[in-house]
Order: sequence, then structure tokens, then C-alpha cells
Amino acid sequence: MSDVTVPGAARTGWDRVTPAPVPFHRLLLVEARKMADTRSAMIMFGLLAAMTVVSIAARGVVAGPELTRLTTTAGIGYGTLLPAIAILAVTGDWTHRSALTTFTLEPRRGRVLAARCLPPLAATVAASLFALVVAVPATAVTAAVQGVPAEWDITVPRMLGWTATNVLLIAMAIAFAMLLLHPAAAIATYFVLGTLWNLARNLSETGREIARWVDLGTAVGPLATAELTWMDAARLGTALLCSVALPLAIGVVRALRAEVR
Amino acid sequence: MIEFKSVCKDYKGVRALDEVSFTVEPGSVTGFLGPNGAGKTTALRILLGLSRPTSGTATIFGRPYRELEAPGWHVGALLDANAQHPGRTGREILTLGAMTLGLPRSRVDEVLELVGLTEREARRIFRGYSLGMRQRLGIAHALLARPRVLVFDEPANGLDPQGIHWLRGLLRELADAGCAVLLSSHLLAEVERIADRVVVIGRGRVLAQGTLDELGRGRDLERVFLELTAEADRRAA
Repeated sequence: MSDVTVPGAARTGWDRVTPAPVPFHRLLLVEARKMADTRSAMIMFGLLAAMTVVSIAARGVVAGPELTRLTTTAGIGYGTLLPAIAILAVTGDWTHRSALTTFTLEPRRGRVLAARCLPPLAATVAASLFALVVAVPATAVTAAVQGVPAEWDITVPRMLGWTATNVLLIAMAIAFAMLLLHPAAAIATYFVLGTLWNLARNLSETGREIARWVDLGTAVGPLATAELTWMDAARLGTALLCSVALPLAIGVVRALRAEVR
Repeated sequence: MIEFKSVCKDYKGVRALDEVSFTVEPGSVTGFLGPNGAGKTTALRILLGLSRPTSGTATIFGRPYRELEAPGWHVGALLDANAQHPGRTGREILTLGAMTLGLPRSRVDEVLELVGLTEREARRIFRGYSLGMRQRLGIAHALLARPRVLVFDEPANGLDPQGIHWLRGLLRELADAGCAVLLSSHLLAEVERIADRVVVIGRGRVLAQGTLDELGRGRDLERVFLELTAEADRRAA
């Protein structure tokens, strides 16, 4: 098909590359890059790293050299900034209308959307590991400064449970973003719903029971502390269906059918 | 190369496109003209698979856009120069396109040079770009994979006289190299100087198409355009 010389080509010899459909791994790389290549994203990632280091160090000063406690302290930043980063990564193409370009290069929208959901999840895994990497020296330094023995109390299940919790909560943020396709609306919904469920849990026993089965923020509790029973797992499953799978599915179907403007 | 066959598009009972049929052949620049709201952008969106026609087909190389093997390689498009993330640099926007298509980064430098954006301009974020720079960036993006089909929506908007002169030369060069170029515009004088053929659309219908000579028979394009669209408005009223 491409036997035409368009001006400005042919100098580097790349024109011998055969046209081929865009492979999924390339979409994944592009979407991962898009998550971090804007000015606002760079600022947020910087803030997130700074917050992690500062909050872990401060917790060390206050609570003493306990590795598990120091590591999971990073959850404060991860519960606030990471959802925002994830939501912006999912909605950015729609709010800035660069979806016109994205879906012209790759009209198979489902593949683009799938590639878009994965980088924030991977970033969350990386952030969880980063917290551990920061918490280890923080624990050692705190122990040395305070002159008390360090508690290297973290276990593999605890670390996995905490990481999985972070990842699932980001999955919920992604689902809301996909459903609403609007950053402010998705961020507001994510946090307001969290507050409302908190209220429901505290107001009545019924509210508490419903939250356990429907709200992911409630249902992940036992997972975070790696004390998951079969009952908890069942609750987590239904909460995932309600808070992640359902909004995600509705959002994806709509995005596949939508007119891109 | 580009073919619209009886394309209709309804929005909530309102007919935005009505039996639109025309073709764009390789080696030519076709101007797509019409007043605001005539359906130009809708037609281009349908052509690029961003919107589905209610009936009819729009094809490139005989296939609907979504069924092309590697559309980004064969079709370059600029639908809206402003539709980019404001916090991304121009270079980054092009790099994302080159990455998606599997092109080497050196191609980004080539297209930047081709559209006359300097290295300094390319490193600035999109928010600060003038409309003319945005058009150049969008055109650079469309040319990344040296496509044989080019679709531009109002590419001359915001370009200064030098820019328009440059665009005219570029489009001519592309057409002479065998590309099929479809550009929508309401800058009639420009289209008159660039296009080989024109398709005039008004109220969702193709009002006239052909070479400038066939349409004009000695009159200038503005006159023809105003007569055609006024007549369409009268019929609709």
C-alpha cells in the first residue's frame, strides 16, 4: 500500500517497516506513558513520593521503629493521590478530547481501554513496594536514633494483603472514572461515596452489614490485615462486583458505543 | 480511495447527513465546503470510525475505517487541532503517536521539521501554543506514518499568511505524490487555490461536486457557494 514518497520521509529508512496493527504491548506502553507525561501528572507523582517519605519518617518518630506500621502509613497518600492519578489517567483522553487522535490511530477501542486500566494498577503495586523500600531504612534509622530495638514484624501475607488492598481500591477509582468519564465527577464520587459508606456503617447495624457486602472500602478491611476468612472473601467478591465490575462494565460498553467528539 | 456511499446520520430524529455520496481520488486535493453546521465534521468523524452512520457506508481503500488492518499507517487525520492535553509538550504528543505506530523517534524530528516547528517550540507545553502552532502540530501528527490518505478538518484556521502559503505547498506536494487529500474548510478563497475538486454540502446534503471549472463556469467559488447554500436554505424553509 505504501509505495508513495511523502515529503520529509525516507531519510532514516524506517519506511521499510511494514504497516501492522498496533500490538497490545505497545498500547500498554503508550497508555503508561500518558499517565505520567503531563505537567500535572509529574507534579502529582512527585507529591506522592514526597508524601510517602515524609509520612513514613514522621510515623517513625511518633510510633517507633515498627516496619509494618511504617510501611502501611504510606496508605494515607495512596488513598488520596493515587485514586486521583488513576482517575485522571482514565478520563484525560475524554476531557481533553485527544480521544479523537487515540481512536483514529487505534479504532479497536476495547484494546485501548484495557491498556489504559492497567498502568494505574501497576503503579499502585510499585508504590506499595516503594513504601516498603522507604520504611526499611526509616525503621533502622528510627531504631538507631531512639536507641530502641527495631521491629521487623512485616510478613509476606500482610504485605501482599496490603498491596492487594491498594490495588483493589485503585481498581474502584478506575471503574468510577470509566463510568463517569469526567475527572471532577469521578474524584468527587469516589471520596463522597467513601464518606457516605462510613456514615452508613456507623449509623446502623443494617448499614454496616450492607457496607460489608457492597462497599469495597469496607470489604477490603480484612484483606488489608491479611485476616481474610471465607466469609470475608465472599463479601469481598460481592463488593468487587458492585463497586468495580458493574461500573466498569457499564462504562466500557458506553465508551465502545460512544460518538467520539 | 475515499468513498462515501449514501451516508445518512440521524441525531434524535434530526437528519444531520442525508444521502451523502462522493469520492476522493488519489493524487487530488478535494475541498469539502459547507456553512457551519452543514455536517462536514460529522461526515469526517464517520469516515474515521469515530461515529457510526445511521445508514450507508464510508470507506477508505474499499473498507470501513474500523476494518482497516493498520489504519494509522494508511490514513492521517487532523480533526481538531485543539483536542490535545494542555499539559503535554508538542514533542511528547508526536512521540506518543510515533510509539503507537512503532516508528523510530527520529521520525518525530522529521515531521517537526516538515511543519516548521522549532525544537524550542516542540519542547513547550501545548497550553501555550497558538492556534497556528496547534494546526502545524496536528498536521505533523497526521503525517507521522507517511499515510496515503489525508483528512483535515479546517487545517487553515489560525494559520498566518505564511502558514497558509506553506500549507498550500504541502497539500500540493502530497497530492502530487499520489495521496488522496480531503480537507474541509470555509475559507473559500483558500480552497479555490488549493483544491482540484470541491464537494459542497449544506443542511446535510451534497449540493454540488466537481472540479472548480465544472462548478464555477467562470464565476468565483464564493458566488457559487452562496447560491447553492441559499437555495438549500430556501428548500428547507
